Amino acid sequence: MNKIDSITFDELLRTCNPFDQGASQFDLSEAEFISPAGLVQVTAACHSLAKTGRQPTVKIGNGDVRGYLSRSGFFSALDGVAQIDPPLPRVLQLMSDYQRGRNPLLIEVTKINSGALLPDLLTQIVQVLRRRMKYKKNDAFDVAIAISELCQNTFDHNSGTCGFLAMQAYGKGANRFIEVAVADFGDGLLKTLGRNPKHSGLGNDVDAIRLAIQPGVSEHDDATRGTGLHHLVEITYRHSGSVQIRSGAGKVRFRMDKKIGHTFNVPRMPGVQVALTRKAKEPEVA
Amino acid sequence: MEQRLALKEYGAHLWTRDCAKAIRIKVVELLDTLSAGDVLVLDVSGVEVFDFSFANELFGKTVLSLATEYPGRFVVAEGLNEYTKENLVKALESMNITMIERRGRKPNLLGKTNLLDEATFAAIVATKEAVTANALREKLNLNLNAMNERLTKLTSMGLVRRERSVSTAGREQFEYRVLS
Repeated sequence: MNKIDSITFDELLRTCNPFDQGASQFDLSEAEFISPAGLVQVTAACHSLAKTGRQPTVKIGNGDVRGYLSRSGFFSALDGVAQIDPPLPRVLQLMSDYQRGRNPLLIEVTKINSGALLPDLLTQIVQVLRRRMKYKKNDAFDVAIAISELCQNTFDHNSGTCGFLAMQAYGKGANRFIEVAVADFGDGLLKTLGRNPKHSGLGNDVDAIRLAIQPGVSEHDDATRGTGLHHLVEITYRHSGSVQIRSGAGKVRFRMDKKIGHTFNVPRMPGVQVALTRKAKEPEVA
Repeated sequence: MEQRLALKEYGAHLWTRDCAKAIRIKVVELLDTLSAGDVLVLDVSGVEVFDFSFANELFGKTVLSLATEYPGRFVVAEGLNEYTKENLVKALESMNITMIERRGRKPNLLGKTNLLDEATFAAIVATKEAVTANALREKLNLNLNAMNERLTKLTSMGLVRRERSVSTAGREQFEYRVLS
């Protein structure tokens, strides 16, 4: 597989099927491109397997992608969790640590387990959107709000796990776009919503995803909860972007031209994984 | 009495429910010092952005606590810019709640409202003093039952204060007012 992104990740998972008695090995050796969604989803999958006592292996190739994986913080996020095959030269690891935060078009794989890091991360995201993507201030804030809600979900609804965020800006000029991805390996939407007796009858993961984007739907019977994913999808529509929400064995992709969302059955994986893409904006009029 | 909490003291960008929880402690402290009829102003001027979790925790929880924990007190948002107002409205709508915004000296409703609630609220504001259901009924051309229903709803939402008074004929009655 030469590309690992939010779509092909599921093919990768299907080939090894680690959450259904398959091998705990992710073969990225032929990958020439790995998107933020690919990075955080593989990272979350490895952490999930390690949590159950297994030691996952990530096979990597040589060359550019290996360098990119290092720069993107992927190896750091897997440190002590997964075995990298072939092992990473120490110099590459040191270089990765040195380069962290230096690329203005990239937010490296970042562990999220509390709100403490979020203000700085969101400020960084707003800066990338404003300076590199020519977003107006309020449009950049909109995207940061969506990401904030996603990140908070990773620790608000789970315990003993964490989430991961990564972002990358691609392309030039009008063709520029960003992808932001957040993945966790917690309980997933079906189990989380099922803790609220109101939603205990939910049948499957896709139903849980579709319900979770409705305002006020949460594990908590509290009017001030359950609006994050709803606003995420609303913001996505407003910015003509797309968002893919994956949880358990279900996935729904929402796009401006298909508001009802495309539904997919995917190999089971714990947690919730979300990928957002946004195009660059027209330059702001001075 | 009017108390004021400037949210910009906590930053121009207010992210996360945890940040709102910290500010809520101060809000509760201030509400505890207030009596019925007093006002707590949440001054949003200087704040450029807050996320929905923040809005839900700070504005939502505060508004939802008014009728039961602080009856008769008012919480008012001031200093909203176009962007923060738009997002606060969305947050309030998604929670199905309403709060008072004051722009200049004029209070108005934000969030989940309907034309009937807005008309009733505006009619009370326009009287500039406490007003009976009967007087409002005449002003809005409604029957008394419908008027009382609307006033009960607005009172239960912490948007209108109900006070006991005595009519000129010596009968006990309720009067309604918006802010002092």
